[in-house]
Amino acid sequence: MPLVEIEGLRVSFRQYGGKVDAVRHVSFRVSEGESVGIVGESGSGKSVSCSALLRLLPATAEVEATTLRLDGVDVLKANKEDLARLRGRSAAMIFQDPMTAFDPVFTIGHQIAETIRAHRKVGKREALAEAEQLLLRVEIKNAADVLGYYPHQLSGGMLQRAMIAMALSCRPKLLIADEPTTALDVTIQAQILQLIKRVQAEFGMALIMITHDLGVIAETVDRVVVMYGGEIMEEGAVTDVFEAPKNDYTKTLLASLHSRFEPSKGAPDTVAPALELRGVAKSYHTRRRSGFRVVQGEFQAVQTVDVVLPRNRIVALVGESGSGKTTTGLMAMRLTEPSRGQILVDGTDISQLDPAALIPFRRRMQIVFQNSYSALDPMMTLAQIIAEPLHIHGLGTPREQTEKALNWLERVGLPRNFGNRYAHELSGGQRQRVAIARALILEPTVLVADEPTSALDVTVKAQIINLLKQLQAELGLSILFISHDLSTVKSLTDSVVVMYRGRVVEEAPTERLFAEPQHPYTRALLDAIPATNPREKRLRTFLSADEIKARTPRYTVIQTGSAPNAAPQLVTIAPGHRVEAIVTP
Amino acid sequence: MTAHIIRRILSVAFTFIVVSIIIFLMMHSVPGGPFDANDMPVSEAVRAKMMAQWGLDQPLHVQYFNYMWGVLHLDFGVPFQSPGETVVELISRAWVPSLILGGSGVLIGAPLGILLGMAAALNRNTWIDYLASTLATLGLTIPVFVTSMLLILIFAVWLNWLPASGWPQPNRWILPIACYAAIPLATYARYTRSAVLDTLNRPFVTVLRAKGLSERRIVFQHVMRNSAIPLVTVFLPMFIGTATGSIFVEAMFRVPGLGAYFVSSIEVRDYTLQMALMLLITFMYCLAYLLSDIAYALLNPRIRVGGAE
Repeated sequence: MPLVEIEGLRVSFRQYGGKVDAVRHVSFRVSEGESVGIVGESGSGKSVSCSALLRLLPATAEVEATTLRLDGVDVLKANKEDLARLRGRSAAMIFQDPMTAFDPVFTIGHQIAETIRAHRKVGKREALAEAEQLLLRVEIKNAADVLGYYPHQLSGGMLQRAMIAMALSCRPKLLIADEPTTALDVTIQAQILQLIKRVQAEFGMALIMITHDLGVIAETVDRVVVMYGGEIMEEGAVTDVFEAPKNDYTKTLLASLHSRFEPSKGAPDTVAPALELRGVAKSYHTRRRSGFRVVQGEFQAVQTVDVVLPRNRIVALVGESGSGKTTTGLMAMRLTEPSRGQILVDGTDISQLDPAALIPFRRRMQIVFQNSYSALDPMMTLAQIIAEPLHIHGLGTPREQTEKALNWLERVGLPRNFGNRYAHELSGGQRQRVAIARALILEPTVLVADEPTSALDVTVKAQIINLLKQLQAELGLSILFISHDLSTVKSLTDSVVVMYRGRVVEEAPTERLFAEPQHPYTRALLDAIPATNPREKRLRTFLSADEIKARTPRYTVIQTGSAPNAAPQLVTIAPGHRVEAIVTP
Repeated sequence: MTAHIIRRILSVAFTFIVVSIIIFLMMHSVPGGPFDANDMPVSEAVRAKMMAQWGLDQPLHVQYFNYMWGVLHLDFGVPFQSPGETVVELISRAWVPSLILGGSGVLIGAPLGILLGMAAALNRNTWIDYLASTLATLGLTIPVFVTSMLLILIFAVWLNWLPASGWPQPNRWILPIACYAAIPLATYARYTRSAVLDTLNRPFVTVLRAKGLSERRIVFQHVMRNSAIPLVTVFLPMFIGTATGSIFVEAMFRVPGLGAYFVSSIEVRDYTLQMALMLLITFMYCLAYLLSDIAYALLNPRIRVGGAE
């Protein structure tokens, strides 16, 4: 008998004006020990289906099914005791954002012990000892300390490990992982996925991996269910689906994995690059209280960064959260004041200009943010939002401004009659199109795009990338593309600047960087990208910060032409390829 | 944590001193004085002598220090309205009824409000929720003098269950206490409802359900503990506000409490009592916020334990 048996599942939500179906005709099975992936975009019903299995849906949901069985129990008929046994013991769940998945007022140890004691009659001390063992098994080295930590004292990656430990605490037969790595950095994602696979094998559990990321599917599961619009599109062995997809939607999804790179057109520099950062740095003063003393400190968010953005080119700024890439982007726009250094726009240093003198330069540089929802004023219509830059810079009559805004709606692929709508009426991809229209209506030469696609679904992401590429060619734009998503970077940008702990550690043309990465951090980053082919999945080794430091590359004076120095410095090792290295005589 | 508490105490003490200076200066900047011609028709020489005798001819800062020196020794002088006793005696006599009635009002109203708010949040959009919201809105919008008249009308006049007013028999306390309880009950019902709903919508509650915890444990241990964090900060200030007496309620129920003195001491220019009452209220609020801060820190590990590793 299969562990999970779902037959004809239908979930609908009661709303004003009737019911809305979230999931229809969903049927699939999971056997003991099997790994199944459910892939789909937001709203495809992938999470809803699994929440229905544990009856975790809100009271407004109506669940019907011919069969809905978990571990031999009819879930729809389950009483309180059955449910308590199903949840945690038959199946345990890991969630997307570990930062909000723990109760902030209790310690990690308390929350794991509580789970153990909810299912088994053991003492508090015994449960805590077991919690410590579990933390050790998810590779948390200082497990005894972590027991006493509150959630806010741990990083996202550590919390997700603790979450996995908690899920394992009652030896469940099924582990449901709902987008377990979406909120994490690439390198941490790879570690967590590998950990999930390891504990799955060790504990002999079945796994349901819910994700929007085909790479995660390729890495972790044997069988995949593709969902779209609340229905199953395709189901099969993961190699079959990847190599011979039958459904059109699956084909589009897979195509987004293998988008081809085309270099940007147009001549690069005529006189000066579109944007150049010279020795730009940002440090923040920190005040920390220790007892009665106030300890003053300085936090270097960005240490002396040089970036050149040539005309007609797209340059990527990549790195994990906290690497300083967004701060660098904001400084380039002078939205954050640099502590040191120069910002050159078309050869003019704008770093010292007063606000009035800066205004003409503001016209030439615009920005698009990650969260399109908070970047658009909810009280303004889309036409007003898009026309606002024209209004600010006093370009044209109000009638002309509106007309131009409506034209731009079309240019970014939205109908003109959207002009009277408000931001909340749009989907995430549509909102990001509006944000792009607003940024480009001034016809700037430089666009800073700060993770513009990371909140979007795969297929929508591909559309936005195509739009950016097309507008870049039409307008002769130079784009500084800030991202942690290396597959997007690979298909879009001409060259890549890798940032790590506030420094640039490597910079090279995109193809060269992906083919011949030199710095250990770049290598780690590239190695962490999920496989795009299920046959290519492999075990990875991960480097600690100390190991990365120890493996700083070494070059001789002859190779680089730089003076010898024991401290790491950026050296040129090939045209356009710079890497942080130690130069030996 | 100890350092945090000591820092809070110092900052509250500083606030108290600043406020006391402002009050002192305000009292002096108001036109008129204790020996004004129309109040006390005496000759210029006598007046100057009296001013000197009371130290009122000295520079302001000296007067302030003299006064605060007395305050430190609990010497607030003699109230003009009742020269037979000291200010301290008057306050400790009149405060008792206010403290009993107002304090009980909060101590009864707040827990009831919490229960009502929880019931509303856990039964969202049912008749319980609507009833609780209606009660809360009524409690906050109907002025206390209307509530007190209604209570007297229903329970004393129509039903004849309780005496309409008076002091000190405990059966005369019931109606004023009920009257005082209305606002804390309504406030707490609203606060609790929104705090509990906020907490219930947080992702960790789903995680707790997925772990197989019972709904009762989720609500009483996790949701309550998280919702209590915003609630504790409201309690003590509300207690102080109510337990120092309301002139309306005390007038309606003829309670010889502190409330009336707030107004009368201003009317009759009772400088000593006026100063003392203002300092007392300031002190009580400072203390209330200090204790609330400490309770907040104790409940919230983000403050108690500090930052990330």
